[in-house]
Amino acid sequence: MVAQGALAAGCRFFAGYPITPASEIYEVMMRELPARGGLALSAPDEISSLCYCVGASLRGLKAMTATSGPGWALMVETVQYALMTETPVVIAMVQRLGPSTGGATQGAQGDVWLTEFSVSGGYSLPVFSPSNADECFDLTVHAFNWSERLRTPVVLLSDKEVGMTAEVVDEVNLATPQVIDRTPFVGTQPHVTYGFDKPEDVPAFAPVGGNLKVTATGSAHDQQGRLLKNSPEVLEVLAHLQQKIDAHAREMALVHADIDPGATSLLISYGITARAARQAARMLRHQGVRISFLQPLTLFPVPQEAIKAALAGVKTVLVAEENLRGQYRAVLAPRLEGRQVLGINKIGGLISPGEIIERVRGMEA
Amino acid sequence: MGEATYLAPDAKLPYCRGCGHASVVRQLSRALERLQFPPQSVILTTDIGCLGLADSLFPHLHTVHTTHGRSTAFAAGIALADSVLEPGGLKPVVLIGDGGAMIGLLHLVHAAQLNVDVTVLVHNNFLFGMTGGQHSALTPVGLVTATTPTGNWVPPLDLLALLRAAHAGFLARHFATDADLDARIAEAIAYPGFALIEILELCTAYGTRWNQLTGNALKEIVARQGYQLGRLEAEPERPSFRELYRRQVESLPKEQPAPAAPQALPPVTLARELRLVIAGSAGERVQSAAGLFCQAALVAGLYATLKTDNPVTQGTGFSLAEVCLSPEPIEYTGMEHPDAVIVVSADGSSELQANGTFARCQPGTLLLVDAELPDPPAAGCLWRLPLRKAATPKQAALAGVAAWLARESVLPGAIWEAGLMRLPSDRRQAALEAVRIGQQLATREGEGKW
Repeated sequence: MVAQGALAAGCRFFAGYPITPASEIYEVMMRELPARGGLALSAPDEISSLCYCVGASLRGLKAMTATSGPGWALMVETVQYALMTETPVVIAMVQRLGPSTGGATQGAQGDVWLTEFSVSGGYSLPVFSPSNADECFDLTVHAFNWSERLRTPVVLLSDKEVGMTAEVVDEVNLATPQVIDRTPFVGTQPHVTYGFDKPEDVPAFAPVGGNLKVTATGSAHDQQGRLLKNSPEVLEVLAHLQQKIDAHAREMALVHADIDPGATSLLISYGITARAARQAARMLRHQGVRISFLQPLTLFPVPQEAIKAALAGVKTVLVAEENLRGQYRAVLAPRLEGRQVLGINKIGGLISPGEIIERVRGMEA
Repeated sequence: MGEATYLAPDAKLPYCRGCGHASVVRQLSRALERLQFPPQSVILTTDIGCLGLADSLFPHLHTVHTTHGRSTAFAAGIALADSVLEPGGLKPVVLIGDGGAMIGLLHLVHAAQLNVDVTVLVHNNFLFGMTGGQHSALTPVGLVTATTPTGNWVPPLDLLALLRAAHAGFLARHFATDADLDARIAEAIAYPGFALIEILELCTAYGTRWNQLTGNALKEIVARQGYQLGRLEAEPERPSFRELYRRQVESLPKEQPAPAAPQALPPVTLARELRLVIAGSAGERVQSAAGLFCQAALVAGLYATLKTDNPVTQGTGFSLAEVCLSPEPIEYTGMEHPDAVIVVSADGSSELQANGTFARCQPGTLLLVDAELPDPPAAGCLWRLPLRKAATPKQAALAGVAAWLARESVLPGAIWEAGLMRLPSDRRQAALEAVRIGQQLATREGEGKW
């Protein structure tokens, strides 16, 4: 469904390298893209995969690759290049158990930090996290839209259990979000590759090979793409790369919120574990426990306002995720306004609704 | 169109005195002048290093300044994308050094293999100049560098020989000072596919500082390494990537008629979720039996999820499938307490013991186990059927599912037909037979037919 979402979003270029559990996306794109006027290609490694995608995107095509933790490790250099050169590209990152080659056929949610905190200088990557096949479709379209709108790499963070579980999808009722393309440069002003008026603006795009000269560079540069050392113009561009993300954070925020206004506990979960958490919340309510549930679909930028709204009347926040150290919990903790924060964590298997219920009830006792 | 269209006339070349880079930049400009390409069709893709300063010297060309060694891959990405666009015809020109050629060797090999329309100019000055004169993989034996103070002792890589093995159609080697270098560069850019010129030069900051080099130094190195100069003989011209891909797309089978949608049957009522585990051996159609079951459930208007597992070597050992079936959308897909476990081989049985499935069985779990297997170490209602013997090992899993369905009346028998009719005809008959056997086993249990 990630591949279907990419096709619906207008993806015309895919380069991939086999890796469990992301190979299905690669295979579907290899099968589907050629007949749709696009190009899907097997690269000799993940470094090349992402370089090809970035090159294709510079030429003007919407591009995607798919990988898992070990492949991401190789791509980090080019993720940063895409960010620095303001080149749209989508990376479908299907998590498996790490570190290193880890467990290829085991799910995990251990790469939240790895993806979000990969960029030197601490720049934000927008990250969307689907929990099921429908959300894979929907969020892939959103990932492309935001990548195009903001001219930046965007990550679709799923995992083996989301990516390799076959499930029923109601295609008839599957709505495709409106597709957004990058804003082309038009106008009478001379084209400036990284031109903006306000630092939070996104430069209008011109493809390499078009009539407007492009000066792309991954080195510190001014708006015209000139290499300059520490000049105010360069520092302004470096700040702009973050400011354009921050300025759109509110608009990017997608959550499923199931709030009980009388609840004193808030259960937060994302990705595959959100499914168990949603079920656990339902079962707890049947048992008479008042609890709210929040599933961030946008992990980064953190959906600040939805979280703040969900905190009303809440004393304890529980964050369920399939990793050891509570990676998203650590991100959320400073934003939870002094609430007690508890983690429900495990690796090596799905967190079950039963385990979540036990933790919530244990807290009551 | 004057030369100014390419290299700015007042360009102050930012290179050390005597550095070959300056010569390459001038010759590239002359080559573009010869070709008369519109400036916007040339994409100058530059690597890290002194040579990467070249992009600012060509004010009218598109320039892409990249990460170390990756220039070839980015340029290939541009050219690959361009090959599905009309009219296309972009000419990325890559400038890399000997260091970039080695760290990005895979990109060169793959670009050559694809025959993507990219021209690479390798500025081989035998060392890393910008970082202080360290040796590279292309440093000749004996050369003193910052990291080979007694002279390099590892034989250098013959880049062209290597790329010849990757089917590169255009390979050449020149001195930066060769008067005909511009003509060769023009020839390379015009070549419809991957082209690479290794340009030999000396780094005047480091190469000549630490080595007693005469005017003939480059010639001596070439002789010592046995390098051939000029354009190398290559295999006969082959189609460019653009052409190969166009042919590939044209050869795609015309659109197949979509398989007829399964006829929806009256919805089946299922009071609650059901969780089923099927375990057997690789190659015995365990996972496809589970897939058929899920399709049947879909026809019956139910929600289903299917997960499969097998060892790393997919053709040996166990094969596992886990199915959830529900009247509602399914949230949790784990198998805490399976309702039914079907075990058709010893591989499957061992895996269920190892992964804890047997331990999670409860007294209400139905354990359908092939008659030849020992009792599983699990709680539950044990039901033995000669699945392998009656239905053959390859159909045992499907027969097991059919037997279970017949016993529990989870789904009406008619749904099987709908699901199985979607199978290719060569597999349909065997599957129908397996289902029939499974159903018979369930009803004739104890009659001793098998």
